[in-house]
Amino acid sequence: MSRLRFVGVRLASLLGLLGALSLVLFLLQEVSGADPVSATIGGNASPDAVAAARERLGLDDPAPQRYLAFVGGLLTGDLGTSFRTRRPVAEDIGAYLPATLELVLVAFLLAVLLGVLFAVSSMLRWPLAGVFRGLLFVGSTAPTFMLGILGIIVFYKLLGWLPASGRGGVTDGPTGLSVLDSMLAGDPAATGDALAHVVMPALALAVGPALAIGRVLRSSLTETLRSDHVRTATAKGLTETQVLRGHVLRNSLGASLSMGALQLGFMFGGVLLVEGVFTWGGLGSYLSASLPVSDFPAVAGVTFVLGGLYVAVNTAADVLQSVADPRISVS
Amino acid sequence: MADVLTRADDRPSAGAAPRPPGAVPDPPPRWRLTARRGRSGTNTLARRVLDWTLIGLIVALTVLALVAPLLAPHDPVQPVGPPKLPPFSDGFLLGTDQIGRDTFSRVLVGLRTSWLLSIAVTAVGLVMGSLVGVVAGVAGGWVDSVLMRTTEVFLALPSMLVAVAVAAALGPGLFNTFLAVSIVWWPYYARIVRGEVRAIMARPHVEAARMAGVGRARLVRRHVLPGVVPTAIVTASLDIGNVVMVLASLSFLGLGQPAPAPELGADTSRALVEILDAWWIPLVPGVAVMLLSLLSNLAGDALRHRIAHRR
Repeated sequence: MSRLRFVGVRLASLLGLLGALSLVLFLLQEVSGADPVSATIGGNASPDAVAAARERLGLDDPAPQRYLAFVGGLLTGDLGTSFRTRRPVAEDIGAYLPATLELVLVAFLLAVLLGVLFAVSSMLRWPLAGVFRGLLFVGSTAPTFMLGILGIIVFYKLLGWLPASGRGGVTDGPTGLSVLDSMLAGDPAATGDALAHVVMPALALAVGPALAIGRVLRSSLTETLRSDHVRTATAKGLTETQVLRGHVLRNSLGASLSMGALQLGFMFGGVLLVEGVFTWGGLGSYLSASLPVSDFPAVAGVTFVLGGLYVAVNTAADVLQSVADPRISVS
Repeated sequence: MADVLTRADDRPSAGAAPRPPGAVPDPPPRWRLTARRGRSGTNTLARRVLDWTLIGLIVALTVLALVAPLLAPHDPVQPVGPPKLPPFSDGFLLGTDQIGRDTFSRVLVGLRTSWLLSIAVTAVGLVMGSLVGVVAGVAGGWVDSVLMRTTEVFLALPSMLVAVAVAAALGPGLFNTFLAVSIVWWPYYARIVRGEVRAIMARPHVEAARMAGVGRARLVRRHVLPGVVPTAIVTASLDIGNVVMVLASLSFLGLGQPAPAPELGADTSRALVEILDAWWIPLVPGVAVMLLSLLSNLAGDALRHRIAHRR
């Protein structure tokens, strides 16, 4: 019961946050002074045509009514019309989102892997542990775009191992994720090509989050291993596997889960930079093209979609955390 | 994985004499020595020297930023030599960019913009956040609830994306970028300061002062603020590296000053097309951002040590 209530509260606050995000974007749209009329029917239209368009778009309604219309649009998947492409923003985002999602997902997997490696390597007596830690620390203070540039110089220009830009493999498959589509097409060469293209941008995106996840995982593992209940469990004769499975892992998982979700969320911001470096052709490229021409509907649409994903991921992590550690839903 | 955990568990001290609850935990095993470095528990002479060196470096950098235009050997916005010269060329320490402007002068002025803007954003965040935090913490009740709910909403939204949207709505320019990042930056400080204020308000000396009839303004000035200020400053000094990164990222996306102005992030992104041909042109400003953020992180940590060990 209490678990259900916890989930309910989290979902309610998710809705509240989405509402706040929409309000922020609506206010920004008001501030920006972006004029959808001159952007859609041109600056030279007759005053009558302008008035008709304003009437049609409801621009002369009072602000609260316009906000409700804005939210209604968001709910029905209408994010407005891009000034630049003259197409619905939702359609544009639908076309670019899979590429971005693919990059973020691969980067997240890498970040978890590297994070675990980081936590483990610092708990092990391993000669390269210090080097590894130092590299990750310096890497985490580097701006994401900088890591991408270094990657291109080293792995493309000097070594020639990896491609420097674009996506490979099957890019027009059913899921829109090139690695998955290439696998579905049963084409090992295309899969390899897709992987080769994704690994460098994903790594550039993963280094910072990996360090954050690794730090949290390490400290919670050490803390749990030192706790009294683990010593008791060992003392009463449980095998190591039993102790680990029943007493250590679940306890150390919670903090890493929420840090992982937080970092996955940060990646939605960082991906915009990485895409710029690798001309990845996802939402980041869409945004970079929209920013210089002040295409606010496009910017707002990207912010709403990525921001919504961020909030949703964090809510999911909270719920997962309450499964891993039931004490959370009680407090 | 299992093997690793077992090793940590099997270390000699794990099965040693039981310690009373609340006692200091066992010292970390020997092979975790590197992880212990940098904790505020160590206050050796070497640590002190290192800390003061780092703080000195960041102060020197700030002075450098203030006088950067005087030090720049060339005009940063005018072509002054042949394009795409590599670093350490004659007369051009860091080479020239794609249209022949002196990279060293551009990096110097770009560093000035980056660093001074980061200080400004952090200062505004600190002051705004502290104001909200102190008001919420001291007032309590519905004022506290309203302020903290607002803060939480801001904290739950992705700061980088919101900053991009704000900067896009306001239009390009240095002041608008400053405004955009400041708007998303204060809630972090508000939450920390508010927590600290609540903790101080519950202390006996504050309670005693209240019993003695001390007014709210005096209570805040004499008893609350002195306890809050060190925490707030430490938080800010550890945070300024993040501000450097976010500002550089916005500039990279094209949300900084318009074209000819030297800016580290924007210079990197504009020179990206040269990466195969003259790779040092995008690399040099990027490295400058990286060093700035690394140094501010390390100096922030050093300042935290010094504040923890003062007296």
